[in-house]
Amino acid sequence: MSLNRTPGSKAPLGADLIIPTLALAFAVYFLDSISDLAWEAKANGVLIGSALVALVAVQLLRVGLQVWGGAANLGWDPVLLPRHALGKRIGMVALSALFIFAMDWLGLTLALFLAAAAALYLMGVRKRTHLFWTPFSLAAVAYVMFIVVLDARFPRGPVEILLARLF
Amino acid sequence: MTWDFLLGQFASQFGLWYAIVPGILIGIVVGALPGFSAQNTLIILLPLTLAVPVPTALAFMIALYCATHLAGGIPAILVKIPGTGGAAATTIDGYPMTRKGQAQQALVLCFIASVFGGLVSTLVTLGLLPWLSKAGLYLRSVEMVVVMLFGLTLIAVIAAKDLLKGLIAGLFGLLIGVIGTDHIYNTPRATFGFLELYDGVPLVPALIGLFAISEALVMIESKMIVSKEGQVRAANAHWADTVEGLRMAASRWWHIIWTSFVGLFIGIVPGAGASIAAFVAYQQSRMWSKHPELYGTGIPEGVIAPESANNGVTSGTLVPMMALGVPGGSTAAVMMIVLQYHGIVMGPRLFDTNPEIAYGVFISMAVAYIFMLFTILPLARYMSRIVLIETNYLVPVIMLMTIVAAFAGRQYQFDMALALLFGVIGYIAHKTDYHVTAILIGVILGPLFEEYLVRSLRISEGALSVLFSSPTANVLWALLVGSLAVPLVRAWLKRRADVSELNQ
Repeated sequence: MSLNRTPGSKAPLGADLIIPTLALAFAVYFLDSISDLAWEAKANGVLIGSALVALVAVQLLRVGLQVWGGAANLGWDPVLLPRHALGKRIGMVALSALFIFAMDWLGLTLALFLAAAAALYLMGVRKRTHLFWTPFSLAAVAYVMFIVVLDARFPRGPVEILLARLF
Repeated sequence: MTWDFLLGQFASQFGLWYAIVPGILIGIVVGALPGFSAQNTLIILLPLTLAVPVPTALAFMIALYCATHLAGGIPAILVKIPGTGGAAATTIDGYPMTRKGQAQQALVLCFIASVFGGLVSTLVTLGLLPWLSKAGLYLRSVEMVVVMLFGLTLIAVIAAKDLLKGLIAGLFGLLIGVIGTDHIYNTPRATFGFLELYDGVPLVPALIGLFAISEALVMIESKMIVSKEGQVRAANAHWADTVEGLRMAASRWWHIIWTSFVGLFIGIVPGAGASIAAFVAYQQSRMWSKHPELYGTGIPEGVIAPESANNGVTSGTLVPMMALGVPGGSTAAVMMIVLQYHGIVMGPRLFDTNPEIAYGVFISMAVAYIFMLFTILPLARYMSRIVLIETNYLVPVIMLMTIVAAFAGRQYQFDMALALLFGVIGYIAHKTDYHVTAILIGVILGPLFEEYLVRSLRISEGALSVLFSSPTANVLWALLVGSLAVPLVRAWLKRRADVSELNQ
């Protein structure tokens, strides 16, 4: 837990349990998915999975004892603070997911241009020239590098189709 | 191999500057961009390398390969995003140096350690090639299992502030790395029903997510990535800072040499690679240091050790390819394909049939490193200015462009979403001190670990005692236990000394 605390305050250790919980859930899923397989296919999973479950149990016990002893609580402050950044953080993740999703229809270049403009706005950039030229530069670099030079199989949208006809 | 032969080779390699310089420049760009790798670039440029004479193709490929290893440290130092897995350890001290306003010095340290680390290990390889080529033969599947665990444990010890958290992160990564079909029967495991995961978890989205995206999510909290004092220093970046970096590196010349040997010997082991080498070198550097507590706060030794080692790997990786015909890594495999296309057969006979190729590879590497020094060192002053860009601009650029780069490896849109998922996991891990590096190294080692473990267990018909059946493995086990115990004993001794001081 990486937050600075005032003396006497309780350490918020709830967030410390997110990774162990994910690891535990994944280990259980992994062990379940290999239960019917030949030993060669599951030896590694059993070995790593068991060790992981044991370590997670120790960590849960450690956090549990600290909470029980009154030195900590189950707060999630480390991942939620500072509050002023939380909205931007969630917004950036949502915007990135939308960008990946929308690329199927808009193509790489247009989707990247729109997503970059929206992301800059979300981050607090308000200068119109910056809101246009920064996304334009990013989209142009991505188009030249990935579509023209590397011929990567990115979804083609209106911009790619138009430029392919022109050149 | 006579001196006349060697000097003639050096002279002819210098004459190939027209292939080496473009190779270096492309390699620097490729290495600095997460998602791009030397092997993919060489595959894209395959028609070019197949069309030119063998020495020219070789000089170009070697220069590109070495430059990617060097350049991976640039974004690791400037924005805490390693360009390659081998530069992950460089973030531990490189980024704190940037935050202190010493980005230029850190970059110079990175360049000097990389160039001289690579150069020294290449020259040593050249002299000891016949003996080094046999070293890899002593490490079989049983020893490799311990090597992998050793690497992972070191990372847990080094990277995480809390050993238990480090081990959980490492094992979590190791289990993620095993997703996909098994090696023997090809049955899918833990794929969540996604066909895209049948080949395992791709490394590029994992690297991008755990480092680039998670770091971008952390960057949102502040306006700039460096302190006010750091901004002033970066804005007034001067050649004097480059000279100071050179002075720092020169005064630690022995550190560069011995950590490059760590890289060389780990590079010889097929599959071990730059990531493990960099972490082992960092851990050894810290273990033998008089001030281990300063590691992680931004000290020159913390940049030198991983950079010198991950470039020491470059020559080591080529040893098994040249001497045994077994490529030590994926880039070496691409090079082998090009050489085989030209009718050159790798293996022990290469030293008799084509000595100019067998030794020429390493001479070419040495020459590439010399060229690299003069190409990249003057750029440190200008590169360090990236820290002056506000996070309002950096965060969208990093997040969106690295998500796009996640597509580059396998060309699946799925990988972009995977990078985002790893980014969220990385952010949580970062904020709660479950070090992302331990997760990433686990993901990298997962498939290799399984391969060697299953091979060992098949030999022993499932008995785990096989892991303690060889003297070499047992020595490695002892080193592993020692690496875990030394920091604990050191901390205990320090506590005892503090208590006795207080009592007096």
